[in-house]
Amino acid sequence: MKRPLLILFFLLNALVFASAQDFPFGVVTTEEMNMKNYAKDTSAHAVVLQEFGKSSINIGSDDNLKQFYEYHVKIKIFDAKAFNKGTVKIMLYSNDKNDAYEDVSNIKGVTYYKDDNGFTQKAELEDKKVYPVKENKYWASHKFAMPGLRDGCIIEYKYRVESFRWYKLRSWEFQDDIPKLYSEYEVHIPAFFNFNASIKGYLKLTKNTSSVESTCFEARGAKADCSLINYGMADIPAFKEDDYMTSPKNFLSAINFELVDWQSPYDGSKHKETKEWRDIDYSLKTEPNFGGQLKRKGLLKDKVAAIIAGKPDDMAKAKAIYQYWQKWFKWDGFWSIYSESISKAIDKHSGDIADINLSLATALSTAGLNTEVVLLSTRENGALNTLYPVIGDFDYVVAKVNIGDQTYLLDATDPLLPFGVLPFKCLNDKGRVFSLDKPSYFMDMSLPQREKSSYILDVTLQDDGKLKGTLTNYSTGYEAYKRRVAIKKFNSIDEYVENLNGKLPKWKFTKSEVRNLDSLDMPVVEQYDVEIKVYDKLGETNKATFSPYYIHRMTTNPFKLNERSFPIDMGMASEDRYAITVHLPAGYMVDTPPQTMAISIPNNGGKYISSYEPGDNSFSFVYLTQFNKSVYGTEEFPSIKEFYNKIIQSQKTEMVLKKK
Amino acid sequence: MMRGFIIAGFLTVCWVAANAQQNYDASLIPKDLLPYASSVVRNEEVTIEVKDLDNSVYHIKKAITVLNKNGDDDAHIVIYHDKNDVIKSVKGIVYNQFGKQIDKFGESKFDDVNIGSSSALFEGMRAEHYLPAVNEYPYTIAYEYEEKSKQTLNFDPWIPNADIGIAVEKSSFNFICTPDFNIKYKESNLPTGVVTGKNAQGQKTYSWQVNNLKAIKYEPFSPYVKNYASSVQIAPEKFEYYGIKGTYTNWKELGKWISDKLMANRQELPYQTIEHVKEITKDIADPKLKAKKIYEYMQGKTHYISVQVGIGGFQPFLASEVDQQSYGDCKALVNYTQALLKAVNIDSYYCIVKSGRAHNVSLLTDFASMGQADHIILCVPFKNDTTWADCTSQTIPFGYLGDFTDNRTVLALTPEGGKLLRTPKYPAPINLESRRAEFSISNSGELSGSMTTSFKGVEYEDRDDLMKETRAEQFKMVQKKYPINNMDVDDFDIKQDKSFDPVTTETIKLHAKDYATFDNGKFYFLLNPANRETYIPKQVRNRLTDVSITRGYTEEDEVTYTVPQGYRLEKKVLNEKLDKPFGNFTATMELKGDKLTYKRRFQLIGGTYNKDVYPDVVDFFQAVVDADEYNVVLVKTNN
Repeated sequence: MKRPLLILFFLLNALVFASAQDFPFGVVTTEEMNMKNYAKDTSAHAVVLQEFGKSSINIGSDDNLKQFYEYHVKIKIFDAKAFNKGTVKIMLYSNDKNDAYEDVSNIKGVTYYKDDNGFTQKAELEDKKVYPVKENKYWASHKFAMPGLRDGCIIEYKYRVESFRWYKLRSWEFQDDIPKLYSEYEVHIPAFFNFNASIKGYLKLTKNTSSVESTCFEARGAKADCSLINYGMADIPAFKEDDYMTSPKNFLSAINFELVDWQSPYDGSKHKETKEWRDIDYSLKTEPNFGGQLKRKGLLKDKVAAIIAGKPDDMAKAKAIYQYWQKWFKWDGFWSIYSESISKAIDKHSGDIADINLSLATALSTAGLNTEVVLLSTRENGALNTLYPVIGDFDYVVAKVNIGDQTYLLDATDPLLPFGVLPFKCLNDKGRVFSLDKPSYFMDMSLPQREKSSYILDVTLQDDGKLKGTLTNYSTGYEAYKRRVAIKKFNSIDEYVENLNGKLPKWKFTKSEVRNLDSLDMPVVEQYDVEIKVYDKLGETNKATFSPYYIHRMTTNPFKLNERSFPIDMGMASEDRYAITVHLPAGYMVDTPPQTMAISIPNNGGKYISSYEPGDNSFSFVYLTQFNKSVYGTEEFPSIKEFYNKIIQSQKTEMVLKKK
Repeated sequence: MMRGFIIAGFLTVCWVAANAQQNYDASLIPKDLLPYASSVVRNEEVTIEVKDLDNSVYHIKKAITVLNKNGDDDAHIVIYHDKNDVIKSVKGIVYNQFGKQIDKFGESKFDDVNIGSSSALFEGMRAEHYLPAVNEYPYTIAYEYEEKSKQTLNFDPWIPNADIGIAVEKSSFNFICTPDFNIKYKESNLPTGVVTGKNAQGQKTYSWQVNNLKAIKYEPFSPYVKNYASSVQIAPEKFEYYGIKGTYTNWKELGKWISDKLMANRQELPYQTIEHVKEITKDIADPKLKAKKIYEYMQGKTHYISVQVGIGGFQPFLASEVDQQSYGDCKALVNYTQALLKAVNIDSYYCIVKSGRAHNVSLLTDFASMGQADHIILCVPFKNDTTWADCTSQTIPFGYLGDFTDNRTVLALTPEGGKLLRTPKYPAPINLESRRAEFSISNSGELSGSMTTSFKGVEYEDRDDLMKETRAEQFKMVQKKYPINNMDVDDFDIKQDKSFDPVTTETIKLHAKDYATFDNGKFYFLLNPANRETYIPKQVRNRLTDVSITRGYTEEDEVTYTVPQGYRLEKKVLNEKLDKPFGNFTATMELKGDKLTYKRRFQLIGGTYNKDVYPDVVDFFQAVVDADEYNVVLVKTNN
């Protein structure tokens, strides 16, 4: 007899061996029917009364290993704003082209409601009201709407899914956008299989028991006991999103599983999946769709030789290959960390993230450059599990080339990214660096990547009340990328300027020039001859007020609420600088200069500075906002909100010009 | 919220002949087609062939040159279909900028996906789609396919140049049918009309063609696209629709056919439900109030879910089924409400409408056809008082249509057949958002006081999201709605009067620190605290379309500030008065003692105006935005 193994990364305080089970179907209490709201969160439009899920690995009717998943929930719906909880979609996966999807069965649903006379009634879900739809080549769904919904009703439904993906034990989300009284997940894992479990989120389990089920698994004579584990959580608050937050997945309370190793019940062969990084390193290296592709240098030899011909140094070679790759490929919109075949992708000029970036890495190393690849989890995908390696946490891969003592991360899926700049979605948490010949290691993905814009307005105030002069705008770092994306949305620079000017009716752009649009490693420079209408006519009165905040004057605070639940994620550090020089007509002078100030966010988090410099019949005024961090903690929220408040207050003040 | 339904059938698709003879060198595109174009249709041939009443075939041939990355979407081939349609002979060729073939493809490259909305239960609409991967611009794809349909009621219109950024070198539309198949057609904005004839097989042919259409660019306040784009719509006389035959030549007959064939015997209700509605209305004498009671009963019992399972998506669920399931789409819910009304002897009409807030699109009075509409509403023809209702919302008042289906011609199914009716219009004075505020500004710059706002006409729904929320939630939501920095809500109240002239009234007690900045002996603050216009429609060079303001509205704000004593206004007071055919605006201020009064009135008037007034529209909004940004400067009187 084998003893079930399960690695748990939280303490099992009390091992309760009472066998837990699903709650009975079809039972509601008078209290539940009469509930008017959820006392712990009266803002909730619905509350989960009970939720139970169960996953087990066993032999299916076709004698193959299967995962069986059962789901059962009972939800109290207080008002129509939560009627969407009554429309249920069960997603079913397929990984082959023969339309073999996961299988759903035993769908059962019932709604309890009070009828027109106040009596509790039941409406049952009919089988023919469950609609199966093939969504695309990977997914099908079964969808149903619970009958008889009305304010105050209770819905209850359950279903069972049989999946060929026995190795991908279902994760469980304790937290949702409505609160839950109780949620429990039960897993049965035969001793042949060994999974890691990890908990995400800040809520604590209220039940965590494990026991041994004897001989629960039998396949062609092989028998095993199972681990029976129950994870329960009571009084789970609703999850509410904030503005400017990282993926909710980072904060939602959930439990995830990763297969560590297993023994085939059929032939006794042992398989190691994940355990330590060196195991992952090994499996990635030997994986045909990962390491296998990185080794295909022979395939690219001629191509690369032609690209780097005549390039004097490593930097020039790397840039040439990167730019060539950006031009060669069109990203097909799919994300992946594995490439079936880089040669096929190259032939097609099209591929997913892994096709493009793994082939890029292979090309770079073919050129003799010191190249690695970085697996990462995008912002949408959430943070990585840091307790132990989980390969399934990664959803994106980029190339890393090391030249001298500098390292550059490269993503060739976007033709507008400069060399060494990653798209915003990749700036998340940590990445794991792999190479064919060294152990893997973590690197921080909150890179020293910045976005920076600088505006210089140099104008003369004229007798007709207009400012006339030049506006120059430098966009650097990620800002240059964003600017290029914005400009390329138009068919020509002329059309871009026409649109830009169109949005500023008081401005007139008489001449324009955009530089470095296609030199991706340089700042984008826009230069315009401008005329800005300020007054109908100058000199109607002796004094005239003047606001120097000509570009991006801030009038509304992006943060309005008084509290904050989650860190403020700005994405990356940024700097915006505005310099304005005004030459006054003869006979005019500055009566009241603008208010100047210098404030900062504690702990070097950022600053705002405005400065004034009187000149010879002219003045210069500079204001600058800088955020030094990409993420600010919730405790910093009050200071960030106040920082904006101070800027807005300052930008309300005006200067006064007067006739001499 | 009110929602429409998707018409099953196919939307316009692009269909092309990969003609090896044709030269797709990008440099051959006429230069005057390039401005504002991301792609150019080189040649398109759309052919509909009616072989029999239950057999029509679309042949699509199309060659399109993509000039830059923005045009990639235009090369995305999407073939819409449902389970009744058969797609075949899909093939295509990719050419480089010199017109040299670089790739070819067939149907195996296409993915077949469900395209129903994610909130829908079932819609049955699918699409086969494929986007060739080419990274060198310009490139051309030429493709063709055939799609077979089992019905002849509903034909896709031909609109060769409906999308922004696509120029058209040549597009043609051919309709071919058997000699006994008669059609009517509606041509719009075509330089040349139809050419009719007979082909070698003795079939009747109708052909239209356009050449050298420039790319449309985005113009704010542009009319509904069909009002200015070239198009042809086709309607059959005799047809078959998934086994049901019919004939029509006008709306009356089409309405009759829908009533008889799709709607008949679908309103039976369980006995208990009939008894219940009789019971709840037995003490109400006025039929309109009776209907209101029944409508509210229906709202409390049902909710909207998109489910398209009836014949071709045009037939409602049985009323008894809605009674049992408590959900349905717009067709099912209107049909159900009709059944409930019938139980108390109130007659009503099922009305077919084209929904949408951006434009109020009417059914064409001179051209009857299926497929012009996408939503169903209810009309109750009381004596001298025709009342309208949308049955897909749980909250709106009886008799209220709002901006989703207002002011347009709809088809009502009456016992005599189809009849065109007009839904009510909500003119600018009716759509009123009116606000009164009494504030004081302290020596520290803190704003405090209260503000009451009422919302009428189409504005009535403006605060629907706040209803049924707890006070704590409402405080937060309202904080986000107003541009008042540091706003703290001390008290909040909202009421909806659901009478036949519905009004929403919101009262807020608030304070906001640092509303005014004190610097160098002066106070600075924004005169307009709550309702600052920030939108300026962009200037457009050589505007092509008339200015269309779909719906007018009015805003009235009156704010009284008590300001610290002993201050005077430093700069020129705000005194803006604008009066234009399409709108008017006044904003004034006055300081008397320590009372500063600000009055603002903004009105936009619905209608269509000559494109020449557009620069005035831009200037008007610019002036409003400027006035709304007016910064009060208070300076000590002894200064």
